[in-house]
Amino acid sequence: MSAIRITRAGPLATLQDAGRPGLLRHGISASGPMDGAAFARAGGWLGAAGTTAIEFTTAGLSFVAEGSVSIAVDGGAFELSIDGEAKSWPARALLGAGSVVDIRPGPAGNYGYLRLDREIEVPLVMGSRATSSIAGIGGFGGRALRAGDLLPLGATLPRGRGQHPTPAEVADGPIRIVWGIHADRFDNAIRQRFVTDGFAVSSQLDRMGVRLGDPSQVFADAKILSLVSDAVVPGDIQILGDGTPIVLMRDHQPTGGYPRIATVVTADLDRFAQLRPGNQVRFVPVTVQHAEGLKR
Amino acid sequence: MTDTLTPTLLPLGDRGLLIRFAETLSDDANRAAIGFAARAEAAGVRGVAEVVPNLVSVLLRYEPSAISFVALAGEVRLLVSAPGQPAAADAEHRVAVHFDGEDLSEVAGLVRLSVADFIAAHNAAPLRVLATGFAPGFIYCGMHPEALVVPRRGVVRRQAQAGTVLFAAGQTAITSTAIPTGWHVIGHTEFRNFDPAAEPPTTVRAGDSVKFVAS
Repeated sequence: MSAIRITRAGPLATLQDAGRPGLLRHGISASGPMDGAAFARAGGWLGAAGTTAIEFTTAGLSFVAEGSVSIAVDGGAFELSIDGEAKSWPARALLGAGSVVDIRPGPAGNYGYLRLDREIEVPLVMGSRATSSIAGIGGFGGRALRAGDLLPLGATLPRGRGQHPTPAEVADGPIRIVWGIHADRFDNAIRQRFVTDGFAVSSQLDRMGVRLGDPSQVFADAKILSLVSDAVVPGDIQILGDGTPIVLMRDHQPTGGYPRIATVVTADLDRFAQLRPGNQVRFVPVTVQHAEGLKR
Repeated sequence: MTDTLTPTLLPLGDRGLLIRFAETLSDDANRAAIGFAARAEAAGVRGVAEVVPNLVSVLLRYEPSAISFVALAGEVRLLVSAPGQPAAADAEHRVAVHFDGEDLSEVAGLVRLSVADFIAAHNAAPLRVLATGFAPGFIYCGMHPEALVVPRRGVVRRQAQAGTVLFAAGQTAITSTAIPTGWHVIGHTEFRNFDPAAEPPTTVRAGDSVKFVAS
């Protein structure tokens, strides 16, 4: 049986598949890739890919292929080398037994994906192999990957029609939002400044949420009351008691009791997830009708 | 029974519709939310991927390729005003509690009872499960009578183990995983409401009744 032996994992590298939606009432958020589009692209390069990917973070990932295996990588922009030879990004490759893959920090993005032409054989937990960092379940023993982990691989999938990897077009411009379930709790002036003043991605970001810097103090004077809690969806922007905005991400808390001024539209959440600490963020409101029609 | 409260319908992102029955927690609003969630589930609305009852609201997660927010809002209004079917029988759960929590005597003091009298008052009547979902298997039960209402603690405890019995705001809550909490710890229980290997992973539903007994 072939396997992937991890020799170096940046913090918070996890196994992710499409996630386990539908369990909010049980207290489980869906998890799944932080950049779902990049996850899908990496699978597309292979044509037929196992459902489960390694999601690695800015610091990258190194591993040894224990047995021959086809891989594809995408997401952000990382530096890739295979057996010491530099490769372009994104990439697809057939690894021989013993091949050494080294993914190093690159110029852009927080999350990259490694997909394989076979399944990563970890148990399904509630129908999914995704790691939930908030619940500590799924993936590889419910935890982040680290050096020394051996990921057993299943049988090779029937060959699919793959594609030559090409870099994705990087969209820019403001992050689109729809106004949130508590937008009416904020003064007009604050709502106005929320979309005119810029924010910055802070260094406090993980799969649960991304805290934003608020350099012009949009929320300094906002009265933040604790509310009766409601279910949370990915992209919800909560304003914490001290005025810090936090964008809740794929491993979000299942319910939230702080006011939510807005929710990032589904089509822009992958792009938002890839913004690095220090990157500027602007929000622009769109209608739900508009957001529903946007392609992911 | 039809709901006497007219809910507010709000988008929650571009794939969610929130049906809010009230801005504050009340028994009526909570019953309205749980009742509506049951009806929405039974109706099986096209394009709805998930029905999530909350304390005073219900989230419908929908697939916009199958139904738009506007069309779903129309369906919801029909469901709200439709005569309700008799709800499925709510389950009853018996929860044995060791009343040995580190905040127990403080809580008893706050409500001016001896510890023994507090336990008796706490267990006097079955409670209703008001909501689930704050954490895996976590349940809120309420409402206690006014005389037993105490505020939350000022300081958050980093870790309450699975099976911790919590008390605040007129409610008793039970953890099924380790979580931080700002509630008073009044006891512990072997009762667990989360098994990731089971289908479904939790068995207690909002609307069920819980009878606490001292063990």
